[in-house]
Amino acid sequence: MRTAALNALVIIVLAAFIHITAVLSMPYLAPKNAWARISALSDANRMFVLPAASPSHQSLPLMAPDVRYSVCRFNLNEGPVRLSTQILDDLWSIAFYTPSGDNFYAITGRELKRSRIEIIISTQNQVGVKAGASLLDEIEDLIVVDSPVREGIAVIRAPLLGPSYAVQTEAALRRGACSRYLPGSDFRR
Amino acid sequence: MRSLLNLLFIFGLALTLGLGSAWYVIEEGSGLTTSYVGPWSVWRNAGKPNADPYTKAHIARAGRLPITATSALYFFATSDEVGKQLSSDCEYVVEGRPLNTAWWSLAVYDGTGRLIPNKADRHSFNRTDVARRADGSFRIVLARSARPGNWLPTAQQGSLQLILRAYGLRNADNVLDKAAAERGLPTIHKVVCR
Repeated sequence: MRTAALNALVIIVLAAFIHITAVLSMPYLAPKNAWARISALSDANRMFVLPAASPSHQSLPLMAPDVRYSVCRFNLNEGPVRLSTQILDDLWSIAFYTPSGDNFYAITGRELKRSRIEIIISTQNQVGVKAGASLLDEIEDLIVVDSPVREGIAVIRAPLLGPSYAVQTEAALRRGACSRYLPGSDFRR
Repeated sequence: MRSLLNLLFIFGLALTLGLGSAWYVIEEGSGLTTSYVGPWSVWRNAGKPNADPYTKAHIARAGRLPITATSALYFFATSDEVGKQLSSDCEYVVEGRPLNTAWWSLAVYDGTGRLIPNKADRHSFNRTDVARRADGSFRIVLARSARPGNWLPTAQQGSLQLILRAYGLRNADNVLDKAAAERGLPTIHKVVCR
């Protein structure tokens, strides 16, 4: 009787331990998380327009068929990264993620109130960026995003206002850019 | 020998229980992480950096990149309002009022998450392209063959799932408030099965 109770206790404790380990390790071990999928699709610090979701292909699981997406897998190891894009509508949004999928920053066209933006992504200790950027005071469209991680993903979402908007929306996303930010270089290019 | 078997049994059972329960709460959610409103379920903290470990595990496993739940919510439905699994063998009416969001979209997928091929190339209706009645409400019909109005084509066979995306929530907590959500989210009503 005592052994049975002891066995049950061991099973429960062990099961709880396995449960907790499995849950906590999932963000890092899930083989097909979004970071793994996007890493397979595009190089670091490049803007990549995801192909529209179709019955035969989805770059990420359960993509919206009526949203067009572009992504930049940023890597800040060599320094800050600059992202620029048109914003055609209030509904557009730009969201920043850690490799495990935490959305640490997001902003929408409605909040931006402008048709084109430049974003500099940097880690907190990459100082000088802010100072450097603020020197470029003719650039009002600049936003500096502090990233908690050295690598991550920026996703631009462009909801289609109707099926006929697809071509125009995809073209606008393709004009976006993502690259290492070199302070001192002509920002506007 | 007996004690070895005993040990194996203990370990096997613990492994099954531990992994099984983890799998269940990560896949299906639980009251801790997920709200259930009629046929819809929503991970309340998806995408939030301070989300609980179950939500983070769920998102990683799903391979999705949801916008933080403070400004967008994703409602999933795999069954109709009486709890029967959504099936391509049946026709459904999804009826509701536009959500109080900047944009919403209702998309249909098959049971494995694929979009369903159809001649109309129609996989969703959204706030901007759905035909609405004068009072702002809408009615979307899910069926294999064409229907007048907002027709969302379904597959020849197999189960279905719906995702209702709500971008630009004016107040996410309000949407998650159960009573408000029940008034606000569309109903999924089965019409007929073949």
